[in-house]
Amino acid sequence: MRFRFCGDLDCPDWVLAEISTLAKISSVKMKLLCVQVLKDLLGEGIDYDKVAKLTADAKFESGDIKASVAVLTFILSRAAKHDVDSESLSSELQQLGLPKEHTTGLCKSYEDKHTALQEKLRESSLRLGRLEGVSWRVDYTLSSSELQEVNEPTVQLRLQAQGAETGTTETTIVSVSADKFRVLLTELKQAQAMMNALQ
Amino acid sequence: MLLVLSDEHKEHLGFLPEVDSAVVGEFGRIAVEFLRKGTNPKIYEGAARKLSVDAETVQHGVEGIMYLLTESSKLMISEVDFQDSVLVLGFTEELNQLLLQLYLDHRKEIRHILSELTPSLPHYHNLEWRLDVLLASRALRQQMKPTVSMKLHLGESGGEKSVKVLQTDPATLMHLIQELEKALAELKTTHCRRILRNIK
Repeated sequence: MRFRFCGDLDCPDWVLAEISTLAKISSVKMKLLCVQVLKDLLGEGIDYDKVAKLTADAKFESGDIKASVAVLTFILSRAAKHDVDSESLSSELQQLGLPKEHTTGLCKSYEDKHTALQEKLRESSLRLGRLEGVSWRVDYTLSSSELQEVNEPTVQLRLQAQGAETGTTETTIVSVSADKFRVLLTELKQAQAMMNALQ
Repeated sequence: MLLVLSDEHKEHLGFLPEVDSAVVGEFGRIAVEFLRKGTNPKIYEGAARKLSVDAETVQHGVEGIMYLLTESSKLMISEVDFQDSVLVLGFTEELNQLLLQLYLDHRKEIRHILSELTPSLPHYHNLEWRLDVLLASRALRQQMKPTVSMKLHLGESGGEKSVKVLQTDPATLMHLIQELEKALAELKTTHCRRILRNIK
């Protein structure tokens, strides 16, 4: 059985098993649990005390609590990843055995936060060596040990980027002469024009 | 297969018959706890004060038990062999039985702890990927070159993580996937199945 939210693949066995665990709590509690899981996916942190209170009625053990949080995280993140609309998600979850009230609650929460979730996932996609900051200054060289009258402007650029492998900030300082800087600026403007054409 | 105990080891264990069996049981429990979590010298001080002996003697006694347990678990010796090896020390029957029980109860756990001490190569931790298309570069405009960039997170045996950044074109990626699937399919050949059946 192929499911869209699993990326047109079979649904993993553990998801099937934990959906039946989810069916044990009431649909209102499940909607609140979805809200908590969505908060976690959006990077706001999850409040485990609230989760424990929500699942206390159904007498979930710690293993069950972890499993239900895991399965909700899986469903919501995969649905956002494959851009599944909430009607398809709803029908697929009902095929897997999640009761109708639970499915409606889950899909409503999903629809509310759909765009925000996709934005967050886009931000956390792999980016190698992100540029974090640029600062510059223009100097005018009057004289040097080689030549008495130099009279040349230079630009000093400080680029702060995230190292591709280390992930920590690395600083590079370059000084560019006027002509080379003009070339650099023209090329970068051409690249910018190309990027704008694609937007 | 018999355990051969060195003279120094026998001397350290020679402290055990001088205390009663309840204390030896306690030492055994401390020894297993140390094997799980690491030694704590303060416990030796406390025990030495209570028994009015040297802290060093207590330490030797506990370490002697620890070494006895790890050697026996490592070689997976049978009950009879364990009893014969301990007989050499000349302990009372009760003490022998106590040590045997300690060995049998904790053998599996000690083997599990010992298995984690083997050196290992860096292993897979996480893989992030992205699919890009190169549209233009400074040297050439109007291109169309798809590339896959990957960040492979590896974990070492000491818990340190290392990261490798890789880049490939789709054709090489397909080849890589085919080779890995061939490697997985090797598990299903008759030769491999025969070996796995015999190990089980």
